[in-house]
Amino acid sequence: MAKLTIADLKKIKDKVHAETALRLGDRRARVTVHMGTCGIASGAREVMGALLGAIEEAGVSDVVVTTSGCMGLCSREPLVTVEIIGQEPIKYECVNPNKMRQIFKRHVLEGEVQAPFVLARGTEIVK
Amino acid sequence: MKVFRSHILICGGTGCHASGSLEAKKALLAELDKRGLAGEIKVVETGCNGFCAMGPVMVVYPEGVMYMMVQAGDIPELVEEHFVKGRVLKRLLYKEPLTGEAIPTMQEIPFFALQDLRVLRNRGIIDPEKIEEYIARDGYAGMAKALTEMTPDAIIKEVMDSGLRGRGGAGFPTGLKWRFASQSPGDIKYVLCNADEGDPGAFMDRSVLEADPHAVLEGMVIAAKAIGSHQGYIYCRAEYPLAIHRLNIAIDQAKEAGLLGSDILGTGFDFDLEIYQGAGAFVCGEETALMTSIEGKRGMPRPRPPFPAIAGLWQRPSILNNVETLANVGQIILRGAAWYAGVGTTKSKGTKVFALTGDVNNIGLVEVPMGTPLGTIVYDIGGGIAKGKKFKAAQLGGPSGGMIPIQHLNAPVDYEKVAELGAIMGSGGLIVMNEDSCAVDMARFFMDFCKDESCGKCTPCRAGTQKMLEILTNICNGKGKEGDIEKLEKWANVIKNTALCGLGQTAPNPVLSTLRYFRDEYEAHIREKRCPAVVCSAFFKTPCMHACPINMDIPSYLALIKADRLEDAYKVLLKTNPFPSICGRVCNHKCETKCRRSTVDEAVGIKHLKRYITDNAARPRLEKAQLTRKEKIAVIGAGPSGLTAARDLALRGYAVTLFDQFPEAGGMLRWGIPAYRLPREILDQEISDILALGIEFRNNTKVGVDVAWEELRVAYTAVYLAIGAQRSARSGVEGDGLKGVDGAIEFLREVNLGRKPKVGKRVAVVGGGNSAIDAARSALRLGAETVTIVYRRLREDMPAQDDEIHAAEAEGIKIEYLAAPVRFQGADGRLQSAVCQRMALGEFDASGRKKPVPLIDSEFSLDVDQVILAIGQEAIFPFDAGRAGIGVTRRKLIEVVKGSKTATAAAMVFAGGDVVTGPDTVVGAVAAGHHAAAEIDAAIRLRNGEAPYVPVEEEIAIPMVVDEETQEIARVCIPEVACLERIKDFREVELGLSKEAALAEASRCLRCDIQIE
Repeated sequence: MAKLTIADLKKIKDKVHAETALRLGDRRARVTVHMGTCGIASGAREVMGALLGAIEEAGVSDVVVTTSGCMGLCSREPLVTVEIIGQEPIKYECVNPNKMRQIFKRHVLEGEVQAPFVLARGTEIVK
Repeated sequence: MKVFRSHILICGGTGCHASGSLEAKKALLAELDKRGLAGEIKVVETGCNGFCAMGPVMVVYPEGVMYMMVQAGDIPELVEEHFVKGRVLKRLLYKEPLTGEAIPTMQEIPFFALQDLRVLRNRGIIDPEKIEEYIARDGYAGMAKALTEMTPDAIIKEVMDSGLRGRGGAGFPTGLKWRFASQSPGDIKYVLCNADEGDPGAFMDRSVLEADPHAVLEGMVIAAKAIGSHQGYIYCRAEYPLAIHRLNIAIDQAKEAGLLGSDILGTGFDFDLEIYQGAGAFVCGEETALMTSIEGKRGMPRPRPPFPAIAGLWQRPSILNNVETLANVGQIILRGAAWYAGVGTTKSKGTKVFALTGDVNNIGLVEVPMGTPLGTIVYDIGGGIAKGKKFKAAQLGGPSGGMIPIQHLNAPVDYEKVAELGAIMGSGGLIVMNEDSCAVDMARFFMDFCKDESCGKCTPCRAGTQKMLEILTNICNGKGKEGDIEKLEKWANVIKNTALCGLGQTAPNPVLSTLRYFRDEYEAHIREKRCPAVVCSAFFKTPCMHACPINMDIPSYLALIKADRLEDAYKVLLKTNPFPSICGRVCNHKCETKCRRSTVDEAVGIKHLKRYITDNAARPRLEKAQLTRKEKIAVIGAGPSGLTAARDLALRGYAVTLFDQFPEAGGMLRWGIPAYRLPREILDQEISDILALGIEFRNNTKVGVDVAWEELRVAYTAVYLAIGAQRSARSGVEGDGLKGVDGAIEFLREVNLGRKPKVGKRVAVVGGGNSAIDAARSALRLGAETVTIVYRRLREDMPAQDDEIHAAEAEGIKIEYLAAPVRFQGADGRLQSAVCQRMALGEFDASGRKKPVPLIDSEFSLDVDQVILAIGQEAIFPFDAGRAGIGVTRRKLIEVVKGSKTATAAAMVFAGGDVVTGPDTVVGAVAAGHHAAAEIDAAIRLRNGEAPYVPVEEEIAIPMVVDEETQEIARVCIPEVACLERIKDFREVELGLSKEAALAEASRCLRCDIQIE
């Protein structure tokens, strides 16, 4: 990356903001695996492995996988957020590889929220 | 992707399979097909949804309607109603219709909704390894503003104005620290970040570094500009590998993007940064020790002054800020001091992150405005105490902090209030402890930690923590001595005043704070050789025995059940309990709350097993006690406490006379407890066994009326007052004197005297204790058409036993929560209705429950013709207590002298049971009776110069067999008579255990009494 100027900061902000808001391209969904120490300790790496395996198996290329840090509710880790374009994000709690494969297949690909595993929908408010 | 109008999620977990979900699914598919709906409605089999008891469970989307216990036979109706006619089938809903949203939004879940995210604003949203995502969330914009638009003085002023204080613990104003360093002369200055998070239970710094590392870097660059520094260090412990990994990535990305290093953002400002990995010594969190460690020396503090702002790292002016402090800085610069100071209290601004852990339901990181009440954090955000236990205290500030006990749940958590309560904010570790934590043991744990972590440079800390730990360990091991508490206080003050650094000066805090709030627990350990929380195992054979007020030998009688030696088991019961068949029915079984089996699955059903012994074994033959002593004792009141004392004294050879104003003995056992819980023949048998020891029982004799108090004092060597609390407290509201407004005690006594009192058709019972439930269930059995219990708080606050509440509800008694009567209305002196008011729960009271506050304009009327008040009990004194020389408390109870359990201020007059404690349990009264007999006997022997009493007991061999393998098995359920049958009369509700069930249940005992030598 080249050295940035203040104007560049603004440009990056606008560009990435759009990306993170899932408005670009023909991606169908973004899956965030929360990988803080608490998440990893309770199995987030295995969940991530299962997710990547499921994507490979399904042969889809329009699902973005990303990681993020602790969301604060450590006793419900591993946590996974699924955000289908144009819909509210859904947060799943206590995910394991089996649940992850099910969430990927049924929610990401077929569009049904896997209600029994859901912690909440939406995002936290940052004032 | 095929679109369906509706999705049915049917649970396919093992639990639901077992209850028939496969058949239901098959029937559902067939039914949908039959009606031609298969193309519109999708049926999905899910994994276990966790609600197994109500299975098979089915959820219909998009409405989110949840159906319970759906059987194949229900399917045609369900499809017809829900999918053809579009109506929810109410019959299969769980209690109330769950319409609308089934999944709440994050803004609706209190854990998230009550938080205010500033430091943690990017948590769970950005990828911490992608700088672009941080920038997209206004990252580095604050830094850009500071570097281009602001002078160092302006930056410092902004931070000063924001009111930001050091989040590492001490709360020193951050701006002030920066000002000192900026005014300090010198070309080379350092900005340091303290990421040496060492408090047990605290992990917010790690989480910030892992989730949002750039926020810390940005804060450091701004700080560097403010003080004129060009080099910084992040001191992070090596045991945080992920945090270090992400920090390294962040630093590399920032350098590559020109946001760190030389000529940042083309402004000409240079600042470079390195990570220094610490080896994990707690003392290195102290600022001077941390700097010594970065210099490559052994991490030990050095005396201040000079302060780091003058001579810090390598003797250069330095500032050290905590991770959380620095993570706030970028936002303060970008959004302004006023924005930041917009939340918080007068002296503590902004938010604080807490690592919430321990015995709460929701463990995690929470960020709340300064000044949020402790109770909100523990109950609303933390979801309350796990497993239905009671909150005891929260340890705030780790090993340097202190405990905040239950009576301060309303305390607004900010620097000032926390210090006033004897804790410190610390880095924000908040460990919640329930009733199963021992204050002395906790103090010992933290002192052990501080002793281990003491660097040894100064003597007070090195030797003092060692000395304090020794005393605490002795107390926990049952070797505490009088004077230990004073010694602890002396050492604590010495260390506090003379230790070199913050670690030493704060090390005694947990001891001082537990002494402040839990001194009685220290005293119980030292004087009574008892651990009230049943933690310190040196004091007991098993936790259940220690929890029992009369120390019943539980593992022994359970082992004897297993060996089918029921007569021996009965003898074990009678050693400590004169009323085993009564306690096997009505005891509140404190033993079970401390049963270690509950850590595997559920507590052993000790109460039911006790009853099994008495139901099935022959009663051991009793002989008349030998009269060996010349002293005569008078026991007033033939309730459980008086009977126990009379029995013990008779067995010790005394001549005992028992007085009671009623025709029969038993006290509250007879007049308070209804026969459906305690059949009269059981009661009669146990009482007649006691009287048969040779006790003279003078019934229908009221002391003060039939026999004068002064006369008793002359005729008897000692008197035991076990007169109970015999009168119901009145409500004090308008109309309390109407006919039809009765007290629960008086009502139950009439019932139990066999007088069949007239009950109303529609009865309201006011109160939430066992008496309220007893009165309500009795009224129902006497023919009341409707019975409503009116209680001013919530169910979890009810003092009544949980199984009693369940049974009452099962019998059709309605409970009106959050309501209280304001007046009773009537005509011609007879009650016609009770006007009640709705309550809301306000602040916490001293018992840790939320206080009910009346809601304005919320009155409603209950159309009732009888009200039974069960809101408390009072003692009636048969004589003038003051003239007799007996102290009486403000609550109109007898006061016992300090250092004794039953002695009153009058010579050779003892008191115990409800008249001393207020309404208590049967087993509590029995315990008081034992104490009274022992103290009366000891007092007489002391006066005569005799040796203390040594009991003679039959030795019973206890089988020492332990199952090596423990499998999870649910606890036994006691069979009951069906509701519709049992409410017709006063027959006993609970039936006994079968032999098979009892053997299985007794086998669940883990035998904590067996020790390997």
